[in-house]
Amino acid sequence: MSKQVRLWGLLALLLAGSLLLTLLTGPDSRADEPLPALLTGSVYDRQGTPVRDAEVRLYDGSGGEPLAETTTQPDGRYALVLPETFGDNLTVHIERAHFAATDIPLDAETVTALRAGQSVVLPDTTLLRRITAAFWIATAIFAAVLILIATGQLHNTLAALLGASALFAVSYLGPLLAPELFIFDFEGALRYIDWNVIFLIMGMMIVIAVVERTGIFQWLAFMAYRLSRGKLWLMLPILMVVTGVASAFLDNVTTMLLMTPMTVQIALAMGVNPLALLIPEVLASNVVGISTLVGTPTNILIGSYANLSFNDFLLNLTPGVVLALLGLIVYSELVYRKSFRAAGGGGLSPVLLQALAERGRITQPDHLKKAGVVGAGMIVLFVLGEHIHLLPAVTAIMGATALLVWIRPNIEEMIEAVDWTTLVFFMTLFICVGAIQEVGLISFIADLIGNLVGENLLLAMLVVTWSSALLSTVIANIPFTAAMLPVIGYLTLTIPGAESKVLFYCLSVGSAMGGNGSLIGASANMVTAGIAERAGHPITYGYFFKKGFPALLITVSLAMLWLLLHFLVL
Amino acid sequence: MGGIICAIRGGPHSRPTIARAIALAQETGQPLYFLYVVNLDFLSHTSSTRVHTISEEMDQMGDFILLMAKDEAARHRVEAQGVIRHGNVLDEIIALCHELRAEYLVLGHPKIGREDTVFTHEQLQRFVARIEEQTGAKVILAGEAVP
Repeated sequence: MSKQVRLWGLLALLLAGSLLLTLLTGPDSRADEPLPALLTGSVYDRQGTPVRDAEVRLYDGSGGEPLAETTTQPDGRYALVLPETFGDNLTVHIERAHFAATDIPLDAETVTALRAGQSVVLPDTTLLRRITAAFWIATAIFAAVLILIATGQLHNTLAALLGASALFAVSYLGPLLAPELFIFDFEGALRYIDWNVIFLIMGMMIVIAVVERTGIFQWLAFMAYRLSRGKLWLMLPILMVVTGVASAFLDNVTTMLLMTPMTVQIALAMGVNPLALLIPEVLASNVVGISTLVGTPTNILIGSYANLSFNDFLLNLTPGVVLALLGLIVYSELVYRKSFRAAGGGGLSPVLLQALAERGRITQPDHLKKAGVVGAGMIVLFVLGEHIHLLPAVTAIMGATALLVWIRPNIEEMIEAVDWTTLVFFMTLFICVGAIQEVGLISFIADLIGNLVGENLLLAMLVVTWSSALLSTVIANIPFTAAMLPVIGYLTLTIPGAESKVLFYCLSVGSAMGGNGSLIGASANMVTAGIAERAGHPITYGYFFKKGFPALLITVSLAMLWLLLHFLVL
Repeated sequence: MGGIICAIRGGPHSRPTIARAIALAQETGQPLYFLYVVNLDFLSHTSSTRVHTISEEMDQMGDFILLMAKDEAARHRVEAQGVIRHGNVLDEIIALCHELRAEYLVLGHPKIGREDTVFTHEQLQRFVARIEEQTGAKVILAGEAVP
């Protein structure tokens, strides 16, 4: 017997068996049974955010065993399956850590409907926050993390890791002493990590690691000197634009790490104080960095949370950034005009000029070409991404992989170039911010700002922009932005007109440009100061404040002006 | 061996130090070495994975600062060499003094109270005594006087 015949025989046997079983059992007896009644509803907090993992129980009479129980889904919905029989006094009890428990007695009409087997949808339930010991502990831990970062007592990553560990210790060991010490469990904490942010940053780090070794930054700086023909007043805006554009696509710290040494050499060779070029450069880096989604970590955070695309940033923020940069260039020219005059624009000595030219050349032209092609492709995908539902993180990872496959660098070196400490910083920071979100601190801040601005969008824009700008001068802007996102999300839902997401752009402007207000306001400021100090030109806190704070006022005002015109007038 | 070591950072405060070292080289006829120490401690709180790349950049910057100092020495008809070291500034100065069996070490004189000086006045006095004791080199402080 052939294999085919045996196969057909087996199929026929199975079919016959199925028919026989159907005949023997008859129609499904359960089909005639009435479906159980369902009691459904949704649970939200005061800000209208769905409350997940709330325990929902249905009681008959006053207590005892629940008739049905479930937990709310991520969208806040629940569905209770009722038993066949129940009494007349039904009550839905909803409780969750960090919220006040609530009881919803069901009226006679609802009970009758349920008894008739109908499904009933209850009105939305709003759970009110409850301040517990966990609230104060989580708040204190988050504040401690901010202080440790701001004062430099611990590395940023170590501070955030310490914070996350302390939160877990309180959550797991605290309830042994008092149940109210529970903040969140490990699974709950992991839900707060935004993996889109992590992978986007990781992908961009790999791309940057390739680009930074090509000598492009040094070449650009030297070209600024060549183009300006040694005229400092002309070289200044060229360097600012070059630094700004580089910062819009690469991270500001890398840009300044690579631009600063070359700028110092050009300045020393021309006999001008390097700070006259370095300070405007780093100010431009902080300002122009926010013109794209990938330019700053704060924009990556904002874009991922608010679902803002690469194009959204380009269309809604870039014109304001250009305006701010123009203002910054004029300001810098005025502030440093005396230094430029004192330098006299004298020519370089042949020895120094030769040394500069030697430094200002592309060292890996082949890698640069390939990185340029891949970079262009990534920008196209970033732009098209929102139309084809391609996440920026996916584009970054694909671009980084394509570049690695194409140029085949030492993979060990490339993996080492990924700043894992920064990625761990982001992950643990998300957990720390998640904790204050969990215990309700973010809700209280949202309520506070909501009460302050009411439904006035203009006032909200001013408050968000300027408060973030001023706070970013003393608080590290990444944790600050991460903590503010849910607050801005709430304001976006409650203020008429804010659905354009304008408040997220205000946060972007404030948190990034605010970094210009003080030396500790941005990491790029610190690395620039570190290199300048090693060249014998220290940047003191006082010096940076004197030059940077007026720049903050000018650039934030101009960017704000654009946002007002774009979103409220035009 | 023997010679003059002049530790510099670049910048306006290094100029009197360089001038003093050049004058000393002219007076004594001893070889002159300019020393620049690359120290990347400032990266410890931010970009630790960038150490390799930035280290190369700082080397180049140090080279340039040394080149300027050598250029200045050449204008006074003094031939000088540049030395770049990595690590702690004070340790590297002592190490080079040992290696070259230097007779003189020229350092910039700090202005007390400034937040950008490597040494405080007390630290400098202790450091001077330590170097002279450990290396036998005579330390010369150039530049501004202590107020």
